[in-house]
Amino acid sequence: MSLEQFQSELEALRTEAADAFSAAADAAALETARVEFLGAKSGRLKAVQKQLGKVPKEDKPAAGKSFNEAKGQIEAAFAAAEERLSSSGTDQDDAAPFDLTLPGPRLPLGHVHPLTQTIEELKDLMGRLGFTVATGPEIEDEWHNFEALNIPASHPARDPLENFYLSTAGVVAGKEGAPLLLRSQTSTVQIRVMESMPPPVRIISLGRVYRPDTADATHYPMFQQIEGLLVDRHATMADLKSVLRLFASSFLGGDVHIRFRPSFFPFTEPSVEVDMSWHDDQGNLRWIEMGGAGMVDPNVLGAVGYDPEEVTGFAFGLGVERVCARRHNVTDIREFYRNDVRFLHQF
Amino acid sequence: MLVSWDWLKQYVQLDITPAELAERLMMAGLNHEGTHPVGSDLAINLEVTSNRPDCLGHIGVAREAAVLTETALQIPPAEPKGTGNAVTKLTSVKVENPDQCWRYTARVVSGVKIGPSPAWLVGRLATVGIGSINNVVDITNYVLMECGQPLHAFDLAKLDGRQIVVRQARKGEPFLAINHKSYTLDETVCVIADAKRAIGLGGVMGGADTEINEQTTELLIESAQFDPVSIRGTARQLNLHSDSSYRFERGIDPEGVDWASRRCCELILELAGGDLAEGVIDIGRQPEPREAVSLRFAQLPRVLGIDVDAAEARRILTALGCREVKHDQQRVEVIPPSWRRDVTREIDLVEEVARIHGYDKIPEDVSVPMAPSHRTRGDRVLARVRQALCAAGFDEAMTLSAVEQEWSDAFSPWTDAAPLRASTPVLRRADRLRRSIVPSLLGARHTNESLANPRIELFEVAHVYLPRGANELPREEMMIAITSGGDYAAVKGALEGLLSALNEKAALLVKPAKLPLLHAQRAAELHVRTGDGAAVLLGYLGEVSQDGLEQFDLRFPATVAELKLAPLIDLANLIPQYHQPPVFPAVSRDLNLVVDESVVWGELSATAREAAGPVAESLTFQDVYRDPKRLGAGKKSLLFSLVLRSDSGTLTSDEADTVHQRVVEACQKAHGAELRT
Repeated sequence: MSLEQFQSELEALRTEAADAFSAAADAAALETARVEFLGAKSGRLKAVQKQLGKVPKEDKPAAGKSFNEAKGQIEAAFAAAEERLSSSGTDQDDAAPFDLTLPGPRLPLGHVHPLTQTIEELKDLMGRLGFTVATGPEIEDEWHNFEALNIPASHPARDPLENFYLSTAGVVAGKEGAPLLLRSQTSTVQIRVMESMPPPVRIISLGRVYRPDTADATHYPMFQQIEGLLVDRHATMADLKSVLRLFASSFLGGDVHIRFRPSFFPFTEPSVEVDMSWHDDQGNLRWIEMGGAGMVDPNVLGAVGYDPEEVTGFAFGLGVERVCARRHNVTDIREFYRNDVRFLHQF
Repeated sequence: MLVSWDWLKQYVQLDITPAELAERLMMAGLNHEGTHPVGSDLAINLEVTSNRPDCLGHIGVAREAAVLTETALQIPPAEPKGTGNAVTKLTSVKVENPDQCWRYTARVVSGVKIGPSPAWLVGRLATVGIGSINNVVDITNYVLMECGQPLHAFDLAKLDGRQIVVRQARKGEPFLAINHKSYTLDETVCVIADAKRAIGLGGVMGGADTEINEQTTELLIESAQFDPVSIRGTARQLNLHSDSSYRFERGIDPEGVDWASRRCCELILELAGGDLAEGVIDIGRQPEPREAVSLRFAQLPRVLGIDVDAAEARRILTALGCREVKHDQQRVEVIPPSWRRDVTREIDLVEEVARIHGYDKIPEDVSVPMAPSHRTRGDRVLARVRQALCAAGFDEAMTLSAVEQEWSDAFSPWTDAAPLRASTPVLRRADRLRRSIVPSLLGARHTNESLANPRIELFEVAHVYLPRGANELPREEMMIAITSGGDYAAVKGALEGLLSALNEKAALLVKPAKLPLLHAQRAAELHVRTGDGAAVLLGYLGEVSQDGLEQFDLRFPATVAELKLAPLIDLANLIPQYHQPPVFPAVSRDLNLVVDESVVWGELSATAREAAGPVAESLTFQDVYRDPKRLGAGKKSLLFSLVLRSDSGTLTSDEADTVHQRVVEACQKAHGAELRT
């Protein structure tokens, strides 16, 4: 047996003995442990001592020294355990009573913003359905915010009063005749993604968008949007409905149904409002609005260089504030941007 | 759009309840906002999307109902008899701005008797929320609500020169509208004028001067078509929105212009008497024939995912007013109705078929092919950043991307370029796109201080907007900003913790920084080494100066930091590789070196680490101690401990002492440090 082996056995024994002594809950258990490790005849320390003879001669002094150290430590651990057991349950008149109910020093954990929590959950759910996150600039040109999305110059949505157009040092920002503006929807990202890659595409775009609404309990001039886009050879409205059902079922739990109501958006045709079913407290079936959706308009596919005869696509969008507010029963969405820590700490 | 239940039934026989009808209409595209009783009638409130101006009249809604219930639609023919003089002998019309006024028609009715409307007419208008004025005005409103075509009746005797001139308004031209408000016009506004003055805002509102009253006997009935963009501009400019402007903005049925005029005259003859002048003045664009659109039946399953019988598709299109040109097994070719300007392409026909056939027929349980998706590196890093900052006690805030000028000017470490400005403030005075998040977080601090919240530790992850050339999109850089009530060291510690959560080897390199808003000494520029070893600018950290606190109206000390996300994404070690923990014991040595005040820890520790060599496992700052009596003036003593460990054997005491000695000597040489014993 080499010196290293001997020392490592000693070390293992020392640890095991110390653990056993400190774990002993009463005198009887401690005695059992004492016999196991320190027993004069068949204790395990005794057994290791017998190994000492097998260590090469030149290492014997070092081995002996190690043995004595370990023995001393094991005996000290036993003594400490004995002391512990003898003091507990005995007279404690001189010790102050211990107040178990005093608070511990609480960790000041921070909270992730509720909108971020909602966004992360939606991203996660859509990720499971194969949608990868895409982002793009919040400041856009008219091509990405309007033209490519089938919103012609005469469309009311392009009215300067319906948008935040930008200037820099008093000069209209952007190339001449192509001003810049804060994007009014995240569909701009869909255009940028489609421009940069061939189909199939399966993404969700998300981020801040801006519209000149007066701030009130249900409106804010800046809000967060999540939009999904799938373009492939055989994408249909049945696929759209099925994806939304999987999504809503995952988000709400249970068996959720999807309803389409015809609507109008420039970048989709057909366009629909999406409702999801929900049972109220009385168990009645209710429909709640989820967002807008539709099949990507052939003009949009054409604008990014896709062939509408080759591929079809669907898109859908949700307002994050609305989803989050409903989920957490927040009655005024301005709270999301006020940053009162008493609000933030609730989530 | 308020719809009268009784009125609808004039055009279509309905064997369903109003509730059933509302439900059917909603599922076909007219959202039901509510129904309320008015007298014995019901007012059904429908939301009409901007692509469906044809449903801004009862006939349009009745047509939808007829298609959905597969019943016939009855529209009055409107064929009043002209019995008087030729209209051209009684008046004349000139259109000077055909770009704004696409078409103008006029009929004249003479010898009318203005009086109250019959009860049925008053009732109809009451249901849709319009008060009764007199029989003629009520009729124009009635026909508007019947077919969606705005009309106007002028008192012809009050027209100077008995003529109509449609023209641009003159700059500064005054106008008194029938709402009895005065407006000052400019050249962008299209007015209806007589020989002298404006008597109507084309497509928006009539004028008070030529209003119909009890003395009126001779009427000019206007039915016209205006450019939607021009109408929108005028309505917005004057903040004057009417039932007329609302419809012209969305586009009216060009084939309905004359029908509405005839219908109006027919009712006038019936309810106010008089004679209709022979003929009509009709100036401008005549409705052009529409182009045929093909629907390949195979497109229905291709887009919708369900089969729709070709016969059913054809029935729906015809019932909606499309005229079938030809059809075969594969396709049908139709001419869409004049009132549906939104239907011009095959995909539009697909939608028409789908919404009438019913979206409920589309299944919600088809299997969509699976596809892989991945979380981006940026998302993974951000998740760790949020986790680390929350663990360090920071709450995530979200603030507006735009700030007011004072905040914008207060702090802009990333660029000197002027901020981008929004044409109108995003909120209150916030019109500058922010170049730093720090001022916004100090604003949030102020909010919380004023709410007496004791602990305000915030971070935000958002873009800043750094202008480039005037022709370029700005650079949007993702930043992590922090504000804390703790001091410089506390926030630096949090940032070091954040860094080690991303890469255990990453270290902050610090340089002094002079920035407005921040304390002159306690502000730093932060650098990190990224993957390729180069040091890059990460961000800024500093305690807010007294002036800064005052500027943001803060009562308590604050520290701020702002970091670029990009270097963190670059240096993050998301898939750490295992290395075996050390097997041999460590030896530690404490050092206490006296140095001049000018010597900084960062430099001394770098020297010490280099001198200690590879056996130095860690070098930990313990304390700084000053005592002019014992150490001398301008001196300080730096206490730190050195943990030494070799990966090839247990270090002996002598070996450790040698390293210790090397460190002391190197520090003495480089920094004049003296070992204090």
